[in-house]
Amino acid sequence: MNKLIAMVRKELIDAARDKRSVMAGLYYAIGTPLLMCGMFMVLIGQLTSPEDLNITIQKAQNAPDLVRYLGNKGINAVDPDSAEKGPDIKDIDIKDITLIISDDYAENMAKAKPAEVILQADNSNEKLQKSIQRLKRELQAYNAEMGSLRLIARGVNPQVMQSIKVNVQDQATPDSRGGMILGIAIFTMIYSVFISGMNLAIDTSAGERERNSLALMLSHPISTRQLVLGKVIAVTTFALLGLILILLISKVAYAFVPWQELGFSINISTDFMALMFAIGIPVALLASTLQLFVSFMAKTFKEAQSYLTMVLFVPLALSMAASYNIAPDALQWLPVSGQQQALMDFIKGKDIPMMQLAVSSAATIIISIALMLGLEKMLKSEKVVFGL
Amino acid sequence: MISVTNLSKKIGDVQALNQLSFSAQDGKITGLLGPNGAGKTTCLRTLFGLLTPDEGHTEVDGINVAEQPVAAKQQLGLFPDPFGLYERLTPREYIQYFAELSGMSRKDAKKATQDVIEQLHLNDISERRCKGFSQGQRMKTALAQAIVHQPTNIILDEPTRGLDVMSTRLLRDILLDLKARGHCVLFSSHVMQEVAALCDHVIVMANGQVVATGSPEELCQQTGETSLEEAFIKLIGTDEGIAA
Repeated sequence: MNKLIAMVRKELIDAARDKRSVMAGLYYAIGTPLLMCGMFMVLIGQLTSPEDLNITIQKAQNAPDLVRYLGNKGINAVDPDSAEKGPDIKDIDIKDITLIISDDYAENMAKAKPAEVILQADNSNEKLQKSIQRLKRELQAYNAEMGSLRLIARGVNPQVMQSIKVNVQDQATPDSRGGMILGIAIFTMIYSVFISGMNLAIDTSAGERERNSLALMLSHPISTRQLVLGKVIAVTTFALLGLILILLISKVAYAFVPWQELGFSINISTDFMALMFAIGIPVALLASTLQLFVSFMAKTFKEAQSYLTMVLFVPLALSMAASYNIAPDALQWLPVSGQQQALMDFIKGKDIPMMQLAVSSAATIIISIALMLGLEKMLKSEKVVFGL
Repeated sequence: MISVTNLSKKIGDVQALNQLSFSAQDGKITGLLGPNGAGKTTCLRTLFGLLTPDEGHTEVDGINVAEQPVAAKQQLGLFPDPFGLYERLTPREYIQYFAELSGMSRKDAKKATQDVIEQLHLNDISERRCKGFSQGQRMKTALAQAIVHQPTNIILDEPTRGLDVMSTRLLRDILLDLKARGHCVLFSSHVMQEVAALCDHVIVMANGQVVATGSPEELCQQTGETSLEEAFIKLIGTDEGIAA
């Protein structure tokens, strides 16, 4: 036991003095929540405020009623000539869409014939698509309104035009609408246990062998089990420190995002932080054993780094699949994705699926133990110890 | 007391050890002398249970290494080649860490570390991190690590490599001191002067086998040569092994 404590203490001192290990964890834990916040702010800004759409309308005088109608819907006609006059108009973003109203518009309208308007825009321009759709939608609405008025004028109920009535009932709750955003936010937290301990895991395994201190350690009266436990505890501790850090920073940073505009809120409450930490312990254990296992298999430090990058794709994929709701149900029973689902349900205010959480956590622990036993066996092999 | 019996080990296609047998007594300095590639390091690694022999067994103070590796290693101190220092730890932390790994309590380890630091005159560098140490400073740190827990048996792998005269002398004094206190000292070397000056007992190895044993004087007598170097050449048979 004393030996184990000595080993863990030494690993942590050694790691804390290794700038590379500390920085990797720190950059991720501090950077990711800030990056996420920035991203969400931009996203929310785009989702919530349908800005005024400024387009060019030629011969607007031919259809003053249509122009007024569009103006009420936030589609403004900007005269390109006058844009240069006013200093405040210059800043306005004028979309490259032109609506040309034909000269005989008023005449045709009066005769109840189709009055022609021409919509000019580059349809291949992705950025314009939304604006074009919006303009078309409003023109359709105006069209329907005029048609109805004409029918009423002729004594016909305009409802005869309406053969079916589509009643869309949106069952999304504000929280479930934020599912993807939530998924990403929780995913970055879970992933922190994989990132924070990674450098230490490589340094203490492949690095230790490269510095020739692994054989020296094994020359001392310790069992390989003690050695494996010492390293796993050290790396897990480091991973959990990363998790605590990212939770604290997220709590502060996410408070600045204007969630209410989306109609739901991500509140990093103390309860959530405690749950996340508790759930994070087995995940951190899995992360550290997996990383140590892979690094010991690699012959050199560099080889370990490239293997690990590939291996880390697995939890990434599991977690992402869970947050996009594209996954089969089986995912909620698996390690990482199961925990992610449970956390998402918690933050959405649903009941935590205890059964699934228990199974996925148990699976996580079982895989970790299997990996530790594998490590113990590996370190008895001379090929692994001397990198033969 | 270390004894090696009929040890054989094949690494890849190379027969690194071939029915190797010898013993090293307490209170004596035993030299394992052989050309490069003779199997010296392989033999020492097998003693620590790091390599499993294909045949034969090793014993430390009568404890079979293969059967009770932890108990056997408790009786051993290793001065390895290469040193395996932790660049980010200070010598004090490094020595104390390995003292604790050898089973000492934290308190005892602290005291033993202080003692060995004084014994090896490491005071001036004991609080500096090992990164950037000179070869002599590294040697002293590694040696302190090997003897801090006062093991009955001390094994040194090529201890004098890369050392200047002062460091070599210091090392020699420490080995003689350990011998005087009744420790069993086993070291491998290919430097004749070291072996001639220090060893009570020499084991000449070539191609994983023992070629001859005895004190340096006895080896000279056996071969009818005046210097150990000439005797060594004669014993291992001209070019064989030396070319390596």
